[in-house]
Amino acid sequence: MGHIRLEVVRKTYGPLEVLKGIDLSIEKGEFVVFVGPSGCGKSTLLRQISGLDRPSSGRIEIDGRDVTDVGAADRGLAMVFQSYALYPHMTVRDNLAFGLQNNRMPKAEIASRIAEAARMLEIGHLMTRRPGQLSGGQRQRVAIGRAVVRDPTAFLLDEPLSNLDAELRVSMRAELAALHARLKTTMIYVTHDQVEAMTLADRIVVLRDGAIEQVATPMELFNRPANRFVAGFIGAPRMNFLDVADAAALAPGQAMPGAAASVGVRPQNLRPGDGEAAMTVDLVEALGTETVLHGRLASGSRVIVAHAGQMAARRGDVLAVAAEAGKLHFFDAADRRVEA
Amino acid sequence: MGAVLAAPAGLLAHLFDAPMRLWQRIAGRGGMIAFFLAPNMAIFGLFVIVPLGLNVAYALSGGTALFLPQRSYVGAANFERLLTCGDHMDPATCRDDLFWIAVWNTVRFVGLQVVVLVGVAMVTALILNGKIRARGFWRAVFFFPVLLSPVVVGLIWKWIFQRQGLLNWVMVELGMDPVNWLTDRTWAFLFSVGISVWAHAGFYALILLAGLQAIPRDIYEAAEMDRTSPGRAFRRITLPLLWPNLLVVIVLALIRAVQVFDEVYVLTGGGPGTSTMYLTQYIYETGFASSLRNPGVAAAASLLMGGVLVVLTIAQLGLTRWRDRQ
Amino acid sequence: MSAVAFLTRRRGGRGWHWTDVVTFGWLAAGLVLIFGPALWLLLSSFKTPAQLAEFPPSILPYASRSAMVDTGDGPRLLPLYTVELPDGTTAVMAEKNRIGIMANMVRPEAPDEVVKVNINARQPLREVAFATGNYTTPLQAFDFGRYLWNSVFVTVIATLITLLTNSMAAFALSKYEFKGRGAVMMVIVATLMIPLSVNLVPLYSVVSAVGLLNTRWGVILPTVATPTGVFMLRQYMLTIPDELLEAARMDNASEWQIYWRIVLPLAAPALAVLAIFSVVWRWNDFLWPLIVLSRKELFTLQIGLNSYAGELNVHWQFILAMTVVSIIPVLIVFFFLQRFITAGIAGTGLK
Ligand SMILES: Nc1ncnc2c1ncn2[C@@H]1O[C@H](COP(=O)(O)OP(=O)(O)OP(=O)(O)O)[C@@H](O)[C@H]1O
Ligand SMILES: [Mg+2]
Repeated sequence: MGHIRLEVVRKTYGPLEVLKGIDLSIEKGEFVVFVGPSGCGKSTLLRQISGLDRPSSGRIEIDGRDVTDVGAADRGLAMVFQSYALYPHMTVRDNLAFGLQNNRMPKAEIASRIAEAARMLEIGHLMTRRPGQLSGGQRQRVAIGRAVVRDPTAFLLDEPLSNLDAELRVSMRAELAALHARLKTTMIYVTHDQVEAMTLADRIVVLRDGAIEQVATPMELFNRPANRFVAGFIGAPRMNFLDVADAAALAPGQAMPGAAASVGVRPQNLRPGDGEAAMTVDLVEALGTETVLHGRLASGSRVIVAHAGQMAARRGDVLAVAAEAGKLHFFDAADRRVEA
Repeated sequence: MGAVLAAPAGLLAHLFDAPMRLWQRIAGRGGMIAFFLAPNMAIFGLFVIVPLGLNVAYALSGGTALFLPQRSYVGAANFERLLTCGDHMDPATCRDDLFWIAVWNTVRFVGLQVVVLVGVAMVTALILNGKIRARGFWRAVFFFPVLLSPVVVGLIWKWIFQRQGLLNWVMVELGMDPVNWLTDRTWAFLFSVGISVWAHAGFYALILLAGLQAIPRDIYEAAEMDRTSPGRAFRRITLPLLWPNLLVVIVLALIRAVQVFDEVYVLTGGGPGTSTMYLTQYIYETGFASSLRNPGVAAAASLLMGGVLVVLTIAQLGLTRWRDRQ
Repeated sequence: MSAVAFLTRRRGGRGWHWTDVVTFGWLAAGLVLIFGPALWLLLSSFKTPAQLAEFPPSILPYASRSAMVDTGDGPRLLPLYTVELPDGTTAVMAEKNRIGIMANMVRPEAPDEVVKVNINARQPLREVAFATGNYTTPLQAFDFGRYLWNSVFVTVIATLITLLTNSMAAFALSKYEFKGRGAVMMVIVATLMIPLSVNLVPLYSVVSAVGLLNTRWGVILPTVATPTGVFMLRQYMLTIPDELLEAARMDNASEWQIYWRIVLPLAAPALAVLAIFSVVWRWNDFLWPLIVLSRKELFTLQIGLNSYAGELNVHWQFILAMTVVSIIPVLIVFFFLQRFITAGIAGTGLK
């Protein structure tokens, strides 16, 4: 259970078209992550799925049932909000129980579900507290717990970790992955954070301006981005985009497809101190595990080079630089991927 | 209080829940919106909107009957009666001399009361905002009369001003002759202003105090570093920054002052003679109390007063907006 | 640092600056002018009618002392006086009877020995005593018990209705988008401008047309749909995040439940402010009840007080005592909830 299908889902607010015909099929048990720049419509898409909003046109199916006109409460989904949206005037226990009571579930069953979720999320000792008396991480767990007790057909999570500090985010990320592995329920997860997307997702949906750019597994997205936008969006530091001439200088032996209008190469695939092209260093960012060099090629094009480990380089140095064989990405004039 | 209310409230919610769900299913979200708005808007419509429309109907009809169908259309006759004067400054030359007496009494009252009221409120707010001990206590002291009912205010002072009252005792102790305060036209007027200031100054002081407390302290500290004299600090910092609040307070005080009635009515009954009879009392007595009852004239007078109030209120809303933007 | 504090601070804490004098004078005058009259009312309310008629008045309520004296025709309760006897001594004596300016007085311990005393040579023997009958008589024998009940009824019911209807409307106006919302808000803001005193005549006819004249509901209903209340509650509810409501919708809560279980509890601070104001408003209402109610048994305390004070034969002792009674709820609000009110006024300009 938990198969979700969207067919040409559109959403407009007055003249503004926020979703421009989304087609998407999410398999049961899958962990799907929506990424994209701010304002591209991730939350809006999630809200159409949740039933909190109705699409202007299109169709939404859950497990084969058309739910386009079904209200949020009756879709069997659970949502974790960015702000957690815990009921501030209720204890943790009441927060968890509220939805179950609304469904007229027997008291004993409610109690056992809450106990189970409390054990799983280690929030048993917080039951009598109110949200205001919890730390950010604890609130996050309760918010997830509120979704878990519902035993939904799918979880919808809208940037659930974005209010946590960096350290907590890492550990919660791991817990979410573990939770998914254990519950095997479909999860749809919205995030800004590439690392979250890459580590959690079975498949990533890259959105831009209300349309899907690519749907693929994390590795495929990284290795074979469908277009320049996706290529630039995934990976840090950002992929270098060069013209064909510069690319030829960096990778002398490489054959270029005729349709290629631009060439992308990830900073990690550029090797300093190798090859014939010369780069003048403008800025050195030594991160310890990695050294990031910002520089200019002879043609004046800017490039970023990420060297694994530490190296002695200073502003003004001129270094040789070369691209690793077979690691170039080619894009045509319309920015679509061209295979080598 | 919460715990006491929680049990019945829970029961009520429980009883309501099933029918509400049903209604939501039938009527949808629009039906729920209508449901939530209905009680308030029904009461509101019946007791505010409808009367507002009827006011015009009454103002344009004549006779002593209260039942509208029994009244005859007289056009602007009621307004004419109210507004026709040989000399508007002299009520004796007016067709409805009582109305103009009330108008000029009200004008004098408003003129004096608003000035004194805002002045007292301002000084009080400045002092409460100063470096004093037990600020909360003092704020409460000045606020106390605000909660008293107009009847209580009127009676408390009536008891003090009466012939054998506290005030005359003080007069005697000071070696002066007792005065029959409330039968003296001038004193009665001054006391009507005095008790309404007494009753309401705390309210305006509180608004001004909130305005003063919103002025950042560091501005004064900066001024102090600049060796600004205290008077100058008040004129150049406090007053300009408080000005938006002060304007709102002045207009609000004006609006209230125009409607003055309750406490003065209890204190003086409008007397001696007609010297403290203000507009609202004129409307009340013309509409309900006097033997010469004339609802049409009362409605016309209300509309005239309402017009003044609307102008003042629009000014007040505009000012509030402007203040909140500042 | 405020303006006045700034002024006082300039003296470096040494000596008295003129602003300190003004501050002190103002606060002292305020205290006397505000609590003086209230205290005078309280003290007067415990005085007997005879004492109220005295001029100059005494500050504290006194009662004449008297004693049981048997003057031959059985024990009688006689008033006691301090008498200056011709020999220059003073004694406490009871008045047996009085003829003109001469009184026949006896010592309580020796009732047979009658002394004639000029009434100017004696002082009534008094002690501080509270004439609590001023309170109990009007509440029991007159209608004030009923007035009190009417006031409580009107205040409580009107406040409950105000809270319920205003909060429902505010909920709809803050948490739903619908056609005509702007128009409804406009109407509400517009009616903020129209005080009751402008609508008296037609309101009276409406109330009479729906048969509410001379009923407590006629007093209650026209006052409960306060635009101020709707306005204030809406402002507050706008600050409740919509995500909470969405979470509740995901939790299969009905819209009624969202209102009752989520929004109302969260709006409790604003509801408390409105409740306090409503209680004070309704308890103190004067002009409207004065118009609607002409049957004595329906009078509220305020109207009852006013009508008693307007009678030819004014029983000041009862009026003063009942005035004190009518202040009690306000005093309770004042002592326990003053903070809410002052915060409410500072925040919304509500009154
Ligand atoms: N109720 C609404 N009315 C009008 N426009 C809206 C509404 N909700 C969202 N939008 C617009 O739709 C677009 C997409 O919004 P959405 O919240 O889905 O973005 P997002 O991808 O979630 O962004 P973020 O990463 O910043 O959360 C935005 O341009 C936003 O301004
Ligand atoms: Mg978003």
